[in-house]
Amino acid sequence: MTTTHVLDQLPLWIEGDLKSPEMAAVEAHLAECPRCQEAAAQLRTSQGWLREALAPPFDPAPQHPLRRRVMDRIRAETPTKPAPGLVRRSALLAACTASLLIGFNLWRQSHRIPSVLPLGPAPPEAVEQPTGPALHLPLATHGHPAPRAIRARPAPRPEAQAPPQDKPACIEFQTADPSIRIIWLAQSKPQPGTRPSLEDKS
Amino acid sequence: MFPGTEALLMEAGLNLPPAAPAPDPLEPLIRRIRAGEVEPFEELMAHTEARILALAWRILGDRHLAEDAAQETYLRVFRSLHTFRLGERFEAWLIRIAVNVCNDLARKRGPLPVRMETLEALEGDAAIMNAEETALLQQRRALVRQALAQLPQAERAALVLRDLEGHSTEEVARILGVRPVTIRSQVASARSKVQAFCARLIQATPGGRL
Repeated sequence: MTTTHVLDQLPLWIEGDLKSPEMAAVEAHLAECPRCQEAAAQLRTSQGWLREALAPPFDPAPQHPLRRRVMDRIRAETPTKPAPGLVRRSALLAACTASLLIGFNLWRQSHRIPSVLPLGPAPPEAVEQPTGPALHLPLATHGHPAPRAIRARPAPRPEAQAPPQDKPACIEFQTADPSIRIIWLAQSKPQPGTRPSLEDKS
Repeated sequence: MFPGTEALLMEAGLNLPPAAPAPDPLEPLIRRIRAGEVEPFEELMAHTEARILALAWRILGDRHLAEDAAQETYLRVFRSLHTFRLGERFEAWLIRIAVNVCNDLARKRGPLPVRMETLEALEGDAAIMNAEETALLQQRRALVRQALAQLPQAERAALVLRDLEGHSTEEVARILGVRPVTIRSQVASARSKVQAFCARLIQATPGGRL
């Protein structure tokens, strides 16, 4: 019999918290030491009493009052802040609108369309303000197939009336949702003062 | 793992590689709540509230205080669910919050008063025991709860999670944010104190009957 008692190790041994060699050593000692056997028996008893005394007094049935109280508080708190999904959709819409405006301004600058009437004496010819191009947004909806990418094809026109640079402007936006693509097509009429017309040539 | 790898590793005396953690069954609910839905939170509570109530009652020793702790726990969980890292075990995160709430409430309340719980838990026993046995059992349960209540807060939480909630030492260490060796030390000390309390109790009882 080993002479060193294992009283200090019993609180860990009782629930299997020692490593295998230590467990085996404690068990070998316990087999021959009545004093440690008695301490182990007391520890086993107190652990059993602990588990018995600390059995929860709650009904295992669903805790409807607790759940109702918590859900009432949560619902009262939630409407004050918008749902994250709504925020994302609003941000996406704002980004699309801003992109469209920027794209339209860039296109207008490239075609030298004045954004405001020039100051000073009135021009000899009335400046025709470009009418806003019709905006078609083929948006995909749930349950419908997403629209295929639309490539801008200029309508065939006589060479004299439609110079090559007069292709319609096409701006495509791919949203975060792969099923939604925003395509914007625009074409302007040539202004009388910026481009020679057929009548001028003749 | 290739066929036979397990046997080869065992022959070589090597440990098996840890298996990939199973997906948390509560994760779909958590994703929906984080996306802005409120109703799935009720389902989340239905899955976990029994454990949280039991844990709070074991730490606090009072039924009404345990219900308050559970309510505060779930409100904190809802408000901070966006900080939960998906892929981790939700229940461990929930228990960590519950233990913190219980510690806060225990600090506010001060030293734990020992409550003699009503006999509601003994209704089943009463039919088969005589009055003396029932009284002795009730007394013993109350005094063991008193022994638990007298433990330092950290030891009580470690003992409850390890011996009563059934978590491993490593899990308890993760939940409480300490090293496993600290948990071993705390549960060993707590078990010894409860045992010593029970031993004194038996000696103090007339005839040593409890």
